[in-house]
Amino acid sequence: MKFMNLAVLGGVLSMSAMDTSAETFRWASNTDPQTMDPHAVNSAPVLSFLNNVYEGLVRRGQDMSIEPSLATSWEPLTGENGWRFNLRQGVIFQDGAAFTAQDVLFSYQRASDEAADVRSWFAPVTDVRVVDDFTIDFVTSAPNPLFPDSIANFMILDQDWAEANDAALPARDAENFATMNVNGTGPFTLASRDPGVRTTLAPNENWWDDVSHNITEAVFTPIGNSATGLAALLSGEIDFIQPIPLQDVAQVESRDGFKVLEGEETRVIMFGFGHEHDALLYSSDVTDANPFTDPRVRLAAAHALDIASIDRVLFRGKIEPASQLVPAGISGFSEANQDRPAFDPDRAKALLAEAGYPDGFSFGLKCTNDRYINDEALCRAAASMFAAVGLNAELSTGPVRDYWPQLRADDFDMYLLGWSPGTFDMEHPIRFLMHSQDDERKLGSWNFGNYSNARVDELLPQIQQEIDPTARQAMIDEVVAITQDEVAYIPLYTQPLIWAAKDNVDLTQRADNFFMLRWVTVN
Amino acid sequence: MVYFILKRMVQSVFVMLAVAFLAFSLFRFVGDPITQMTGVETSVADQERLREELGLNDSFVYQFARFTSDMLKGDFGFSYRTRQPVADMIASRIPATLELGVVALIISLLVGVPAGVYTALKPRGMLTQTILMTTLVGVSIPTFVIGIMLIFIFGVQLGWLPTFGRGGTVQIGGWESSLFTIDGWRALLLPAITLGVYQLTLTMRLVRAEMMEVMRSDYIRFAMARGVPIKSLHYKHALANTMVPVITIIGLQFGGVIAFSIVTESVFQWPGMGLLFLESIRFVDIPVMGVYLVVIAFFFVLVNLIVDLLYVAIDPRLRISDVS
Repeated sequence: MKFMNLAVLGGVLSMSAMDTSAETFRWASNTDPQTMDPHAVNSAPVLSFLNNVYEGLVRRGQDMSIEPSLATSWEPLTGENGWRFNLRQGVIFQDGAAFTAQDVLFSYQRASDEAADVRSWFAPVTDVRVVDDFTIDFVTSAPNPLFPDSIANFMILDQDWAEANDAALPARDAENFATMNVNGTGPFTLASRDPGVRTTLAPNENWWDDVSHNITEAVFTPIGNSATGLAALLSGEIDFIQPIPLQDVAQVESRDGFKVLEGEETRVIMFGFGHEHDALLYSSDVTDANPFTDPRVRLAAAHALDIASIDRVLFRGKIEPASQLVPAGISGFSEANQDRPAFDPDRAKALLAEAGYPDGFSFGLKCTNDRYINDEALCRAAASMFAAVGLNAELSTGPVRDYWPQLRADDFDMYLLGWSPGTFDMEHPIRFLMHSQDDERKLGSWNFGNYSNARVDELLPQIQQEIDPTARQAMIDEVVAITQDEVAYIPLYTQPLIWAAKDNVDLTQRADNFFMLRWVTVN
Repeated sequence: MVYFILKRMVQSVFVMLAVAFLAFSLFRFVGDPITQMTGVETSVADQERLREELGLNDSFVYQFARFTSDMLKGDFGFSYRTRQPVADMIASRIPATLELGVVALIISLLVGVPAGVYTALKPRGMLTQTILMTTLVGVSIPTFVIGIMLIFIFGVQLGWLPTFGRGGTVQIGGWESSLFTIDGWRALLLPAITLGVYQLTLTMRLVRAEMMEVMRSDYIRFAMARGVPIKSLHYKHALANTMVPVITIIGLQFGGVIAFSIVTESVFQWPGMGLLFLESIRFVDIPVMGVYLVVIAFFFVLVNLIVDLLYVAIDPRLRISDVS
């Protein structure tokens, strides 16, 4: 018995010695990708991870710009609405099969099926036609200048592989082969997977693009507890972690051999109102009316907030005040409307008096406590700032798993929301947050308070279809001006993105919080 | 004896049913699985279709009946989050939790029993006072703080031990074990100590109290008067009589160790059942939560049964009363 143990021990020791000699890159994040299927779940952890393994027709560069990937070029169709993609030749999947237009068609059918969570990306598509092996047309119901941008995360898998393994459709109830196995064209391939514990990637030797990383093995570990993640980094067991809590930044910076990477995420944090509610739900003094239907009251709330103090006290100067629902630098950002209501308690009080509430009123404020950076602290700070002008917020906070159902059930007077534009264009928040709720046409699905303006509703389809950038921007400017005038939301700030790594690791922090292994070099 | 075991087994089914029912009645307050399963861009209609497909619109009674009848048929269902079979997910996590729990228990006994004997025999010694003070502090600090402190001292500052995970594991049949590699033991040490601290203190204080009690009893005095060697008196006569209640309490506590390893597993990213349960709560993964709670209830029942049997084995008097 003793002998056997020693033998096992020796074998394991020599194995671990081999492990350390290789160029292994270890990283951690707080959430494990739920699945390895690129069409089953439309969530950031999954899409970010799988972008290392699978590829789309187009991809996003380090600055978020759209660049060729499996398509080398694309142009609008002539004579009908839609886009033609010219595909890259000579690309092979990780199992050796050749990549052709047939795989794109198959992936489209798979991703737009009812069983796929990403099908909303293809809502404008009416038909997909294979022209030849390396040309494919996506026909859309109306002109759609943004379509190529909107499918940057639409990943292509091999038709024969999927069909041979009974994975022609994404897994809905039970798992299927594609839940645990991959066959993409991307820079890395899956070496092993133990869900929730450890996932290992190896470089794809046959990748078509120039290799700029120097990783021979990449090991991903989900670490849910942020203190544990920080300890793992500082003890040298991992090379990189995303994200780290704001309060740990100083701790990492004070140590030799580690660095903090900071950037602005594209997520704008805002307060929303129950525009449609007839009465406040959580008020102790105004129970027969909803003061927030008056734009002056909403503007008063905006003037009550001191973003500079919130930044200094809660965020160590790392947030960027927001004037609209996307940050500067995102396409469609309205430069004509980049002022936000100043911190002005006197004006807030005057506006409240004008609206008939000289002594203010009380209302309910709903917030998450585990979704955005410092979300609960932000809401406490905001509540005390509101109180200073007479708006007495009854704060209630809760975990996000319980939050969306409450908002969908109209159970709020005012609420906190963060929004990251999935397409990196202003059209995205207009479609989801500003257009009136319209389940039929799948519009305004996150416009919980049902802010509704006929002109905004009218402009959205025009913005979606306008090819001329100047005319399009003019329409977006109009929407932003209207929603600012009416204070549809109170945009607060853009949330920071904080990653930490060892000093010898070079990597790129992209604004969508995606981590691409192909840009990592370990020195 | 067979009748006794059978009776307990039947009882355990009712215990598990009761746990499943309580768990199910709480799940509706945990949150909405659909919003955790779908992306922000998923339309409301698609969300509703999924809700219908998963049977979440069915009545509570119907959902509970379906869950229990599937379980009785051996069908544990599929996770909402990963779509894997729940039985496989839980089974693959059991070794990590059990090894952690057992090693924690062994540490607590190896340290707790001698410390208890020592502090009982030398109640006024300097060392006794130190031990009592330290363990009091140890038991007063919450588990996760002890864990984080150990990680920062031994993992980050000294760099002796890993801060998370199981280290090197060896696959033996279906059992993934960390007991056969040095890496595995290094990774196991800190979480096992963290989990064992409370148990250790309890064992020590129990042994100490029992031992002091026994030392005052008549038969020890007589033995002492008869000139039984002092070593034999302490470790053979006194300690053996001390252990009966100690084993009962420790055994009963072990179920708790397994169930409450959640905190330790989270702090050390230890891939056991507790960590799986925490992740499942975050994603409102109802099938996994349900099965986990039932499995834990089963563990409790099983441990209690084993303790009862052990008790009978140790104390001859109980064997006689069981005949009736």
